[in-house]
Amino acid sequence: MNIGRKIVHRAMLAALLLCAPLALRAQMVVITHASVPVKSISVRELLDVYTLNQSRWDDGTRITVVDVKSGKGRDAFFEYIGMSPEEMQRIWLRKQFTGKARPPRSVGSEEDVVDLVAATEGAIGYVNERALKSGKSVRIIARFK
Amino acid sequence: MRNPALVTSSLLALLLALQGTPTAHAQDVGDMRVFGSMQSLFMHQYSYSEINIPEAQLSLQEKESRNSFAIQQLDFFFDKPIDDAFNAFVDLEFQLNYSSEKRWGSLSIQEAWLNYSYNDAVNLKVGLLFPAFNQYNEVKNRLAVLPFIFRPMVYERLLAQRFLTEDFIPEHAYVQFSGWIPTRNLMLDYAVYVGNSEASYITRNHPDGGIDTDLNPNFEFLSGVDPTDINLKLFGARIGLRSPGERFRGGLSFTRDANNMRERFGAQKPYFSEEAIRLMPDDAERYRFGLDLSHKHGDFLIEGEIIKVVYDLGKAERKLDLSLEQSFVYTLVGYELHERLFSFVSAQWGDYSFGLDADYFTGTAGIAWKWRDDITAKAQWVMYTERMENLVNDDGVRYGQNTRLHFILLGLSVLL
Repeated sequence: MNIGRKIVHRAMLAALLLCAPLALRAQMVVITHASVPVKSISVRELLDVYTLNQSRWDDGTRITVVDVKSGKGRDAFFEYIGMSPEEMQRIWLRKQFTGKARPPRSVGSEEDVVDLVAATEGAIGYVNERALKSGKSVRIIARFK
Repeated sequence: MRNPALVTSSLLALLLALQGTPTAHAQDVGDMRVFGSMQSLFMHQYSYSEINIPEAQLSLQEKESRNSFAIQQLDFFFDKPIDDAFNAFVDLEFQLNYSSEKRWGSLSIQEAWLNYSYNDAVNLKVGLLFPAFNQYNEVKNRLAVLPFIFRPMVYERLLAQRFLTEDFIPEHAYVQFSGWIPTRNLMLDYAVYVGNSEASYITRNHPDGGIDTDLNPNFEFLSGVDPTDINLKLFGARIGLRSPGERFRGGLSFTRDANNMRERFGAQKPYFSEEAIRLMPDDAERYRFGLDLSHKHGDFLIEGEIIKVVYDLGKAERKLDLSLEQSFVYTLVGYELHERLFSFVSAQWGDYSFGLDADYFTGTAGIAWKWRDDITAKAQWVMYTERMENLVNDDGVRYGQNTRLHFILLGLSVLL
């Protein structure tokens, strides 16, 4: 009987350990300024925005793209849209050097992303959901892990 | 700026002035952004040439090797958003400012335009601009975004004495409509533009010396303006497709402009008869056709370009069966050894046939290592060969010449 319980406990522990990385993986969100007329955004649309091909929202407001300098959240975002950060950097540089677009505004932390997006009309960024602050008016338009 | 010490100290001063923002890549001046790039190179060159004179059954060889250094290019960009719809952009370029080659120390305005953007699908650029033609024309002088030291042959200004870039691609235009339209899985790019024929057409030498222009010299009161009448000889267009992440790019390009055959191609004795020279048009219509493809799959990149240039020589073509065609083919296979280390091999061909026959080949391999976000170290090996047949010397003797050059190039590309 004890042996049976031990096996069950160990199996449950192993299952918990296996699931832990998934459970711990942070919930990421794509946020915009509260006035942006978009309720949700697809991966394809995010790709168009972050490759600086789409420069305006449907109401004509200029899009201000916000990026974080580094971190796990950044890696998770680029994985979500299917690009590597280096690949994206090359696209931004090419657009900047041909005068077609300015590269995203790059900030040091996810808290700074929330502050900048909340304060800038037309802005879009991505953060860990935990970085959202009460009193900061932003709209969540996508979730990913 | 012919004094190398002065050039070097100026560059150092410039670098010191800019070092306050080494990783920012751009300095905001009010709302205007100033940024730039420079590339310097160290070079080892080995040259071998063989001249064959069939009539005399003679073959002469010579060879030489040397080392050199050049500030290949230094560009400053000024980007000024005026409001939501307008932005202005200027590209100032210094070329080969420390070089033992010719074209020492040129400074030029490569681009200076104002863009009006109604939306992503409708943009109007007015000013001096690089028009859209194949994939490299708009970025040919942005060495910081290219992995090359030695660019594909027709874009490479180190080969300016062998290839005139403008023979193959339209270097500048004045007005361009462009934009992109999203389709279900791809993006459709378009561009249409007008401009003039190129600088070498405009500033051809007059037989009596000086510069010949389209204008009556008695009425040239203004200095420093384009010496040619703006008659918009150049019309061009490009239509292209891109995948959303830009891993696939492809397009078709076309231009029509005019070229002065007598001045530009040495359409003269002894290559052509009196009758051919008489029938040769001053302004021959020139048509450029371009095809470009680029696809990144995993760590591999495959690229290719074809450019075909044909001329309408009018009566000379119809009566004497004369024709002139030029072509250029470029292929590249690249592999990302690491996300910051890119390697490539490339083969390129060009040919030219008009009185004399010439063909060109370049084989090259290289690596570009992005050491930091703003510094890329590059190394490239280049083999360039040139074969010319039916050359004629002053005494009327026909001969052929084969030239082979090997370059080992080390370069440093820096974002400013």
